[in-house]
Amino acid sequence: MKPTVGYLQVIWQILRKEVLIEWRGRQGVPVMLVFALMIVFLFNFALQLSPDLQAGLAAGLLWVSLAFASTLGLNRSINLERENNALDGLLMAPVDRSAIFFGKALGNFIFTFLVGLFLLPIFSLFYSQNMLQLPLLLVLLLGLGAYTSLGTLLSALSIQARTRDILLPVLLYPLALPVLIAAVEASQGVLSGQTLGAVSHWIYLLLAGFLIFTASGLLFFETILEE
Amino acid sequence: MPIETNTPARWIEINDLIKRFHYQPVLNKLELAIHDGECCLLVGDNGAGKTTLLRIIAGLTRPSQGQVTICGEFAAGDPQLRRRIGYVGHQPMFYQDLTATENLNHYARLYQVNNAQAAVVDALDRAGLTQHQHQPVRTLSRGMQQRLSLVRATLHNPVILLLDEPYTGLDQEAAKAFDATLQYLHKPGRVVLIAAHRPQRLLKITSHIAWLRNGVIYQHIPADQIHATPDLQHYLQEVT
Repeated sequence: MKPTVGYLQVIWQILRKEVLIEWRGRQGVPVMLVFALMIVFLFNFALQLSPDLQAGLAAGLLWVSLAFASTLGLNRSINLERENNALDGLLMAPVDRSAIFFGKALGNFIFTFLVGLFLLPIFSLFYSQNMLQLPLLLVLLLGLGAYTSLGTLLSALSIQARTRDILLPVLLYPLALPVLIAAVEASQGVLSGQTLGAVSHWIYLLLAGFLIFTASGLLFFETILEE
Repeated sequence: MPIETNTPARWIEINDLIKRFHYQPVLNKLELAIHDGECCLLVGDNGAGKTTLLRIIAGLTRPSQGQVTICGEFAAGDPQLRRRIGYVGHQPMFYQDLTATENLNHYARLYQVNNAQAAVVDALDRAGLTQHQHQPVRTLSRGMQQRLSLVRATLHNPVILLLDEPYTGLDQEAAKAFDATLQYLHKPGRVVLIAAHRPQRLLKITSHIAWLRNGVIYQHIPADQIHATPDLQHYLQEVT
Protein backbone atom coordinates (compact mmCIF):
# COMPACT_ATOMS: atom_id res chain seq x y z
CA MET A 1 0.00 0.00 0.00
CA LYS A 2 1.41 3.39 -0.99
CA PRO A 3 1.51 6.32 1.41
CA THR A 4 -0.92 9.18 0.90
CA VAL A 5 -0.03 11.16 -2.19
CA GLY A 6 2.30 14.03 -1.32
CA TYR A 7 0.41 17.04 -0.09
CA LEU A 8 2.11 19.52 -2.43
CA GLN A 9 1.70 17.14 -5.33
CA VAL A 10 -2.07 17.11 -4.77
CA ILE A 11 -2.21 20.91 -4.58
CA TRP A 12 -0.26 21.07 -7.84
CA GLN A 13 -2.55 18.52 -9.49
CA ILE A 14 -5.70 20.45 -8.50
CA LEU A 15 -4.17 23.74 -9.62
CA ARG A 16 -3.10 22.22 -12.92
CA LYS A 17 -6.64 20.96 -13.49
CA GLU A 18 -8.11 24.41 -12.70
CA VAL A 19 -5.75 26.11 -15.15
CA LEU A 20 -6.38 23.52 -17.87
CA ILE A 21 -10.15 23.91 -17.56
CA GLU A 22 -9.82 27.69 -17.67
CA TRP A 23 -7.58 27.46 -20.72
CA ARG A 24 -10.05 25.17 -22.49
CA GLY A 25 -13.23 27.02 -21.57
CA ARG A 26 -11.93 30.58 -21.16
CA GLN A 27 -15.08 31.33 -19.22
CA GLY A 28 -13.61 32.55 -15.96
CA VAL A 29 -10.92 35.21 -16.38
CA PRO A 30 -12.44 36.89 -19.50
CA VAL A 31 -15.84 37.27 -17.80
CA MET A 32 -14.23 38.63 -14.62
CA LEU A 33 -12.19 41.04 -16.70
CA VAL A 34 -15.13 42.34 -18.73
CA PHE A 35 -17.12 42.86 -15.52
CA ALA A 36 -14.26 44.73 -13.81
CA LEU A 37 -13.65 46.88 -16.90
CA MET A 38 -17.32 47.83 -17.02
CA ILE A 39 -17.05 49.20 -13.48
CA VAL A 40 -13.88 51.13 -14.36
CA PHE A 41 -15.39 52.69 -17.48
CA LEU A 42 -18.81 53.43 -16.04
CA PHE A 43 -17.51 55.16 -12.92
CA ASN A 44 -14.95 57.13 -14.90
CA PHE A 45 -17.55 58.53 -17.28
CA ALA A 46 -20.35 58.83 -14.74
CA LEU A 47 -18.50 60.77 -12.08
CA GLN A 48 -16.43 63.21 -14.21
CA LEU A 49 -14.23 64.08 -11.24
CA SER A 50 -11.17 66.29 -11.10
CA PRO A 51 -7.82 64.43 -11.28
CA ASP A 52 -7.26 64.86 -7.51
CA LEU A 53 -10.60 63.32 -6.61
CA GLN A 54 -10.17 60.57 -9.18
CA ALA A 55 -6.93 59.54 -7.52
CA GLY A 56 -8.65 59.24 -4.17
CA LEU A 57 -11.38 57.16 -5.70
CA ALA A 58 -9.07 54.82 -7.60
CA ALA A 59 -8.19 52.57 -4.64
CA GLY A 60 -11.82 52.07 -3.66
CA LEU A 61 -12.93 51.36 -7.21
CA LEU A 62 -10.06 48.96 -7.79
CA TRP A 63 -11.13 46.83 -4.83
CA VAL A 64 -14.85 47.06 -5.59
CA SER A 65 -14.23 45.81 -9.13
CA LEU A 66 -11.85 43.07 -7.94
CA ALA A 67 -14.21 41.90 -5.18
CA PHE A 68 -17.22 41.66 -7.49
CA ALA A 69 -15.25 40.13 -10.36
CA SER A 70 -13.70 37.61 -7.99
CA THR A 71 -17.14 36.48 -6.83
CA LEU A 72 -17.97 35.58 -10.44
CA GLY A 73 -14.79 33.52 -10.60
CA LEU A 74 -15.54 31.80 -7.29
CA ASN A 75 -19.03 30.85 -8.45
CA ARG A 76 -17.65 29.52 -11.71
CA SER A 77 -14.98 27.52 -9.89
CA ILE A 78 -17.39 25.75 -7.56
CA ASN A 79 -19.98 25.21 -10.29
CA LEU A 80 -17.34 23.26 -12.22
CA GLU A 81 -17.15 20.86 -9.31
CA ARG A 82 -20.93 20.63 -9.01
CA GLU A 83 -21.40 19.83 -12.68
CA ASN A 84 -21.60 16.03 -13.01
CA ASN A 85 -20.67 15.70 -9.33
CA ALA A 86 -16.98 16.11 -10.20
CA LEU A 87 -16.46 17.10 -6.59
CA ASP A 88 -17.34 13.53 -5.51
CA GLY A 89 -14.50 12.33 -7.69
CA LEU A 90 -12.10 14.61 -5.83
CA LEU A 91 -13.49 13.66 -2.42
CA MET A 92 -13.13 9.95 -3.22
CA ALA A 93 -9.40 10.33 -3.93
CA PRO A 94 -7.00 9.06 -1.26
CA VAL A 95 -5.73 12.55 -0.46
CA ASP A 96 -5.96 14.97 2.42
CA ARG A 97 -9.03 17.01 1.52
CA SER A 98 -7.50 20.25 2.78
CA ALA A 99 -5.04 19.95 -0.13
CA ILE A 100 -8.05 20.21 -2.45
CA PHE A 101 -8.95 23.48 -0.70
CA PHE A 102 -5.45 24.87 -1.19
CA GLY A 103 -5.38 23.84 -4.84
CA LYS A 104 -8.71 25.48 -5.56
CA ALA A 105 -7.94 28.59 -3.48
CA LEU A 106 -4.62 28.98 -5.29
CA GLY A 107 -6.39 28.70 -8.64
CA ASN A 108 -8.97 31.32 -7.65
CA PHE A 109 -6.21 33.59 -6.38
CA ILE A 110 -4.16 33.32 -9.58
CA PHE A 111 -7.14 34.09 -11.82
CA THR A 112 -8.20 37.10 -9.73
CA PHE A 113 -4.63 38.35 -9.44
CA LEU A 114 -4.29 38.17 -13.23
CA VAL A 115 -7.40 40.33 -13.56
CA GLY A 116 -5.88 42.73 -11.00
CA LEU A 117 -2.62 42.95 -12.96
CA PHE A 118 -4.54 43.72 -16.13
CA LEU A 119 -6.60 46.38 -14.38
CA LEU A 120 -3.69 48.33 -12.87
CA PRO A 121 -2.46 50.02 -16.08
CA ILE A 122 -6.06 50.75 -17.09
CA PHE A 123 -6.70 52.40 -13.73
CA SER A 124 -3.48 54.39 -14.20
CA LEU A 125 -4.81 55.63 -17.50
CA PHE A 126 -8.31 56.51 -16.39
CA TYR A 127 -7.66 57.75 -12.86
CA SER A 128 -4.39 59.69 -13.36
CA GLN A 129 -2.36 57.61 -10.92
CA ASN A 130 0.72 55.45 -11.22
CA MET A 131 -0.76 52.15 -10.09
CA LEU A 132 2.20 50.04 -11.23
CA GLN A 133 4.04 50.15 -7.91
CA LEU A 134 5.60 47.24 -6.03
CA PRO A 135 3.98 48.18 -2.68
CA LEU A 136 0.58 48.13 -4.37
CA LEU A 137 1.34 44.68 -5.76
CA LEU A 138 2.07 43.52 -2.21
CA VAL A 139 -1.30 44.87 -1.05
CA LEU A 140 -2.94 43.14 -4.01
CA LEU A 141 -1.22 39.85 -3.16
CA LEU A 142 -2.26 39.89 0.49
CA GLY A 143 -5.74 41.31 -0.05
CA LEU A 144 -6.66 38.93 -2.86
CA GLY A 145 -5.01 36.02 -1.01
CA ALA A 146 -7.25 36.61 1.99
CA TYR A 147 -10.35 37.30 -0.10
CA THR A 148 -10.03 34.23 -2.34
CA SER A 149 -9.21 31.95 0.62
CA LEU A 150 -12.41 33.02 2.35
CA GLY A 151 -14.32 32.88 -0.93
CA THR A 152 -13.16 29.34 -1.69
CA LEU A 153 -14.20 28.16 1.77
CA LEU A 154 -17.61 29.84 1.56
CA SER A 155 -18.26 28.63 -1.98
CA ALA A 156 -17.73 25.09 -0.68
CA LEU A 157 -20.21 25.86 2.09
CA SER A 158 -22.79 27.07 -0.40
CA ILE A 159 -22.37 24.23 -2.88
CA GLN A 160 -25.17 22.10 -1.48
CA ALA A 161 -27.60 24.96 -0.95
CA ARG A 162 -30.40 25.53 -3.44
CA THR A 163 -29.74 29.28 -3.28
CA ARG A 164 -25.99 28.90 -3.77
CA ASP A 165 -25.60 31.77 -6.25
CA ILE A 166 -27.13 34.19 -3.76
CA LEU A 167 -25.68 32.58 -0.67
CA LEU A 168 -22.04 33.11 -1.63
CA PRO A 169 -22.11 36.92 -1.89
CA VAL A 170 -24.44 37.19 1.12
CA LEU A 171 -21.91 35.31 3.24
CA LEU A 172 -18.75 36.57 1.59
CA TYR A 173 -19.13 40.34 1.52
CA PRO A 174 -19.85 40.93 5.23
CA LEU A 175 -17.13 38.54 6.34
CA ALA A 176 -14.60 39.98 3.91
CA LEU A 177 -15.41 43.58 4.80
CA PRO A 178 -12.48 44.04 7.26
CA VAL A 179 -10.08 42.70 4.62
CA LEU A 180 -11.55 44.94 1.91
CA ILE A 181 -11.39 48.01 4.16
CA ALA A 182 -7.77 47.24 5.02
CA ALA A 183 -6.95 46.71 1.34
CA VAL A 184 -8.58 50.00 0.31
CA GLU A 185 -6.85 51.94 3.10
CA ALA A 186 -3.44 50.39 2.36
CA SER A 187 -3.86 51.01 -1.39
CA GLN A 188 -4.94 54.61 -0.83
CA GLY A 189 -1.94 55.17 1.44
CA VAL A 190 0.47 53.75 -1.13
CA LEU A 191 -1.08 55.77 -3.96
CA SER A 192 -0.85 58.98 -1.96
CA GLY A 193 2.88 58.44 -1.62
CA GLN A 194 3.10 56.96 1.88
CA THR A 195 5.71 54.32 2.59
CA LEU A 196 4.79 50.72 3.40
CA GLY A 197 5.82 51.40 7.00
CA ALA A 198 3.21 54.14 7.28
CA VAL A 199 0.43 51.73 6.26
CA SER A 200 1.91 48.74 8.05
CA HIS A 201 -1.10 48.40 10.40
CA TRP A 202 -3.34 47.81 7.38
CA ILE A 203 -0.79 45.40 5.91
CA TYR A 204 -0.75 43.44 9.18
CA LEU A 205 -4.55 43.30 9.14
CA LEU A 206 -4.44 41.89 5.60
CA LEU A 207 -1.82 39.36 6.66
CA ALA A 208 -3.94 38.35 9.66
CA GLY A 209 -7.00 37.96 7.41
CA PHE A 210 -5.01 35.83 5.00
CA LEU A 211 -3.71 33.57 7.79
CA ILE A 212 -7.08 33.24 9.54
CA PHE A 213 -9.05 32.44 6.37
CA THR A 214 -6.41 30.01 5.10
CA ALA A 215 -6.27 28.24 8.46
CA SER A 216 -10.09 28.06 8.46
CA GLY A 217 -9.95 26.33 5.08
CA LEU A 218 -7.37 23.88 6.40
CA LEU A 219 -9.53 23.08 9.42
CA PHE A 220 -13.08 23.17 8.09
CA PHE A 221 -13.03 22.39 4.35
CA GLU A 222 -13.44 18.63 4.82
CA THR A 223 -16.24 18.99 7.39
CA ILE A 224 -18.09 21.47 5.19
CA LEU A 225 -18.06 19.19 2.17
CA GLU A 226 -19.19 15.98 3.84
CA GLU A 227 -22.94 15.51 3.74
CA MET B 1 -3.17 -3.87 -5.68
CA PRO B 2 -1.69 -6.65 -3.56
CA ILE B 3 -4.01 -8.03 -0.93
CA GLU B 4 -2.51 -8.30 2.54
CA THR B 5 -2.43 -11.80 3.93
CA ASN B 6 -4.27 -10.71 7.08
CA THR B 7 -7.12 -9.14 5.10
CA PRO B 8 -10.31 -10.16 6.88
CA ALA B 9 -12.94 -12.18 5.11
CA ARG B 10 -15.54 -9.49 5.78
CA TRP B 11 -14.50 -6.69 3.46
CA ILE B 12 -17.40 -4.44 4.17
CA GLU B 13 -18.95 -4.58 7.61
CA ILE B 14 -21.66 -2.21 8.72
CA ASN B 15 -22.98 -2.14 12.26
CA ASP B 16 -25.87 -0.22 13.77
CA LEU B 17 -25.84 2.33 10.95
CA ILE B 18 -28.26 5.22 11.20
CA LYS B 19 -28.53 8.07 8.71
CA ARG B 20 -31.04 10.82 9.20
CA PHE B 21 -31.93 13.60 6.79
CA HIS B 22 -33.84 16.43 8.44
CA TYR B 23 -34.38 14.23 11.51
CA GLN B 24 -36.00 11.49 9.37
CA PRO B 25 -34.07 8.20 9.49
CA VAL B 26 -33.39 6.85 6.00
CA LEU B 27 -31.20 4.04 7.30
CA ASN B 28 -32.20 2.76 10.70
CA LYS B 29 -29.77 0.50 12.61
CA LEU B 30 -28.69 -1.19 9.40
CA GLU B 31 -26.38 -4.22 9.59
CA LEU B 32 -24.57 -5.68 6.58
CA ALA B 33 -21.46 -7.80 5.99
CA ILE B 34 -20.06 -8.44 2.53
CA HIS B 35 -17.35 -11.03 2.08
CA ASP B 36 -14.42 -11.45 -0.24
CA GLY B 37 -15.44 -12.32 -3.79
CA GLU B 38 -19.07 -11.37 -3.29
CA CYS B 39 -20.93 -9.56 -6.05
CA CYS B 40 -23.94 -8.27 -4.18
CA LEU B 41 -27.01 -6.74 -5.74
CA LEU B 42 -28.65 -4.15 -3.51
CA VAL B 43 -32.34 -3.80 -4.30
CA GLY B 44 -35.00 -1.58 -2.82
CA ASP B 45 -37.65 0.93 -3.74
CA ASN B 46 -36.89 4.47 -4.82
CA GLY B 47 -35.90 6.43 -1.73
CA ALA B 48 -35.13 3.27 0.26
CA GLY B 49 -31.60 4.57 0.91
CA LYS B 50 -29.51 2.57 -1.58
CA THR B 51 -27.57 5.58 -2.79
CA THR B 52 -27.14 6.87 0.76
CA LEU B 53 -25.75 3.51 1.85
CA LEU B 54 -23.28 3.41 -1.05
CA ARG B 55 -22.19 7.00 -0.40
CA ILE B 56 -21.60 6.22 3.27
CA ILE B 57 -19.44 3.21 2.36
CA ALA B 58 -17.58 5.40 -0.16
CA GLY B 59 -16.88 8.01 2.53
CA LEU B 60 -18.87 10.72 0.78
CA THR B 61 -21.63 10.92 3.37
CA ARG B 62 -21.16 10.93 7.11
CA PRO B 63 -23.39 8.50 9.04
CA SER B 64 -25.50 9.92 11.87
CA GLN B 65 -24.56 6.90 13.98
CA GLY B 66 -22.90 3.50 13.61
CA GLN B 67 -19.73 2.09 12.16
CA VAL B 68 -18.52 1.18 8.70
CA THR B 69 -15.49 -1.08 8.49
CA ILE B 70 -13.60 -1.48 5.22
CA CYS B 71 -11.15 -4.40 5.06
CA GLY B 72 -11.14 -4.53 8.85
CA GLU B 73 -10.42 -0.82 9.37
CA PHE B 74 -12.83 1.90 10.42
CA ALA B 75 -13.69 3.93 7.36
CA ALA B 76 -14.17 7.32 9.02
CA GLY B 77 -11.69 9.91 7.86
CA ASP B 78 -8.86 7.70 6.60
CA PRO B 79 -7.78 8.95 3.17
CA GLN B 80 -5.67 5.85 2.58
CA LEU B 81 -8.71 3.60 2.86
CA ARG B 82 -10.38 5.42 -0.03
CA ARG B 83 -7.71 3.96 -2.32
CA ARG B 84 -9.38 0.56 -1.90
CA ILE B 85 -12.74 1.83 -3.13
CA GLY B 86 -14.01 2.59 -6.61
CA TYR B 87 -17.38 4.31 -6.97
CA VAL B 88 -19.67 4.87 -9.93
CA GLY B 89 -22.47 7.23 -8.96
CA HIS B 90 -25.49 8.67 -10.72
CA GLN B 91 -23.33 11.33 -12.34
CA PRO B 92 -20.11 10.59 -14.27
CA MET B 93 -17.90 12.90 -12.09
CA PHE B 94 -15.98 14.30 -15.06
CA TYR B 95 -14.97 17.82 -16.04
CA GLN B 96 -16.90 18.47 -19.21
CA ASP B 97 -14.33 20.72 -20.90
CA LEU B 98 -11.49 18.24 -20.45
CA THR B 99 -10.96 15.27 -22.75
CA ALA B 100 -11.47 11.67 -21.65
CA THR B 101 -7.69 11.20 -21.37
CA GLU B 102 -7.18 14.42 -19.41
CA ASN B 103 -9.92 13.49 -16.95
CA LEU B 104 -8.49 10.01 -16.42
CA ASN B 105 -4.93 11.33 -16.13
CA HIS B 106 -6.15 13.73 -13.45
CA TYR B 107 -7.63 10.89 -11.40
CA ALA B 108 -4.69 8.57 -12.07
CA ARG B 109 -2.31 11.18 -10.63
CA LEU B 110 -4.49 11.77 -7.58
CA TYR B 111 -4.54 8.01 -6.96
CA GLN B 112 -0.80 7.81 -7.72
CA VAL B 113 -1.33 5.03 -10.24
CA ASN B 114 1.97 3.58 -11.47
CA ASN B 115 2.71 4.57 -15.06
CA ALA B 116 -0.43 6.70 -15.08
CA GLN B 117 -0.39 7.54 -18.79
CA ALA B 118 0.14 3.95 -19.91
CA ALA B 119 -2.56 2.76 -17.48
CA VAL B 120 -5.01 5.32 -18.91
CA VAL B 121 -4.26 4.33 -22.51
CA ASP B 122 -4.69 0.66 -21.63
CA ALA B 123 -7.94 1.25 -19.72
CA LEU B 124 -9.42 3.32 -22.55
CA ASP B 125 -8.51 0.57 -24.99
CA ARG B 126 -10.21 -2.09 -22.86
CA ALA B 127 -13.33 0.06 -22.62
CA GLY B 128 -13.36 0.55 -26.40
CA LEU B 129 -13.02 4.32 -26.06
CA THR B 130 -9.61 4.84 -27.68
CA GLN B 131 -11.02 6.65 -30.68
CA HIS B 132 -12.80 9.12 -28.40
CA GLN B 133 -9.89 9.71 -26.02
CA HIS B 134 -9.15 13.26 -27.24
CA GLN B 135 -12.75 14.43 -27.30
CA PRO B 136 -14.06 16.68 -24.54
CA VAL B 137 -16.27 14.62 -22.24
CA ARG B 138 -19.28 16.84 -22.97
CA THR B 139 -19.27 15.55 -26.57
CA LEU B 140 -19.51 11.90 -25.49
CA SER B 141 -22.87 10.11 -25.30
CA ARG B 142 -24.39 9.17 -21.94
CA GLY B 143 -23.45 5.54 -22.55
CA MET B 144 -19.82 6.42 -23.33
CA GLN B 145 -19.62 8.59 -20.23
CA GLN B 146 -20.95 5.70 -18.18
CA ARG B 147 -18.29 3.38 -19.59
CA LEU B 148 -15.71 6.04 -18.91
CA SER B 149 -17.00 6.27 -15.32
CA LEU B 150 -16.34 2.59 -14.84
CA VAL B 151 -12.84 3.07 -16.25
CA ARG B 152 -12.26 5.90 -13.76
CA ALA B 153 -13.57 3.85 -10.86
CA THR B 154 -11.34 0.86 -11.67
CA LEU B 155 -8.22 2.71 -12.80
CA HIS B 156 -6.52 2.23 -9.43
CA ASN B 157 -7.61 -1.42 -9.23
CA PRO B 158 -9.84 -1.08 -6.15
CA VAL B 159 -10.78 -4.11 -4.09
CA ILE B 160 -14.23 -2.70 -3.34
CA LEU B 161 -16.35 -1.52 -6.24
CA LEU B 162 -19.58 0.38 -5.58
CA LEU B 163 -21.93 0.88 -8.52
CA ASP B 164 -25.06 2.97 -8.22
CA GLU B 165 -27.63 2.25 -10.96
CA PRO B 166 -24.85 1.55 -13.48
CA TYR B 167 -27.22 0.76 -16.37
CA THR B 168 -28.81 4.21 -16.40
CA GLY B 169 -28.62 5.67 -19.90
CA LEU B 170 -27.05 2.60 -21.51
CA ASP B 171 -28.52 1.23 -24.73
CA GLN B 172 -28.90 -2.54 -25.24
CA GLU B 173 -25.44 -2.98 -26.76
CA ALA B 174 -23.69 -0.88 -24.13
CA ALA B 175 -25.59 -2.75 -21.39
CA LYS B 176 -24.34 -6.08 -22.76
CA ALA B 177 -20.78 -4.76 -22.79
CA PHE B 178 -21.30 -3.58 -19.23
CA ASP B 179 -22.50 -7.09 -18.24
CA ALA B 180 -19.27 -8.54 -19.63
CA THR B 181 -17.17 -5.96 -17.76
CA LEU B 182 -18.98 -6.75 -14.52
CA GLN B 183 -18.37 -10.46 -14.97
CA TYR B 184 -14.69 -9.72 -15.57
CA LEU B 185 -14.52 -7.56 -12.44
CA HIS B 186 -16.31 -10.09 -10.25
CA LYS B 187 -13.54 -12.31 -8.91
CA PRO B 188 -11.92 -13.34 -5.64
CA GLY B 189 -9.96 -10.49 -4.14
CA ARG B 190 -12.70 -7.98 -4.89
CA VAL B 191 -16.22 -7.26 -3.77
CA VAL B 192 -18.78 -5.55 -5.97
CA LEU B 193 -21.88 -3.90 -4.53
CA ILE B 194 -24.42 -2.81 -7.13
CA ALA B 195 -27.50 -0.76 -6.30
CA ALA B 196 -30.30 -1.13 -8.80
CA HIS B 197 -33.95 -0.22 -8.82
CA ARG B 198 -34.76 -2.53 -11.76
CA PRO B 199 -32.33 -5.38 -11.26
CA GLN B 200 -33.54 -7.96 -13.80
CA ARG B 201 -30.38 -8.34 -15.89
CA LEU B 202 -28.14 -8.30 -12.83
CA LEU B 203 -29.76 -11.37 -11.28
CA LYS B 204 -27.72 -13.62 -13.59
CA ILE B 205 -24.42 -11.95 -12.71
CA THR B 206 -24.53 -11.36 -8.97
CA SER B 207 -23.66 -13.91 -6.29
CA HIS B 208 -25.80 -12.34 -3.52
CA ILE B 209 -28.86 -10.17 -3.15
CA ALA B 210 -29.49 -7.70 -0.35
CA TRP B 211 -32.96 -6.17 0.02
CA LEU B 212 -33.03 -2.75 1.60
CA ARG B 213 -36.45 -2.11 3.11
CA ASN B 214 -37.64 0.29 5.81
CA GLY B 215 -34.09 1.43 6.50
CA VAL B 216 -32.65 -2.03 7.20
CA ILE B 217 -31.30 -4.95 5.20
CA TYR B 218 -34.41 -7.08 5.27
CA GLN B 219 -32.87 -10.01 3.36
CA HIS B 220 -29.27 -10.81 2.40
CA ILE B 221 -29.00 -14.17 0.69
CA PRO B 222 -26.97 -16.00 -1.98
CA ALA B 223 -28.58 -15.46 -5.37
CA ASP B 224 -29.11 -19.18 -5.88
CA GLN B 225 -31.35 -19.34 -2.77
CA ILE B 226 -33.81 -16.82 -4.06
CA HIS B 227 -36.50 -19.52 -4.49
CA ALA B 228 -36.41 -20.04 -0.69
CA THR B 229 -37.49 -16.45 0.00
CA PRO B 230 -40.91 -15.95 -1.59
CA ASP B 231 -41.33 -12.34 -0.50
CA LEU B 232 -38.04 -11.28 -2.15
CA GLN B 233 -38.90 -13.32 -5.21
CA HIS B 234 -42.30 -11.63 -5.34
CA TYR B 235 -40.70 -8.18 -4.91
CA LEU B 236 -38.23 -8.80 -7.74
CA GLN B 237 -41.03 -9.99 -10.02
CA GLU B 238 -42.96 -6.83 -9.21
CA VAL B 239 -40.12 -4.42 -9.96
CA THR B 240 -39.10 -6.18 -13.17
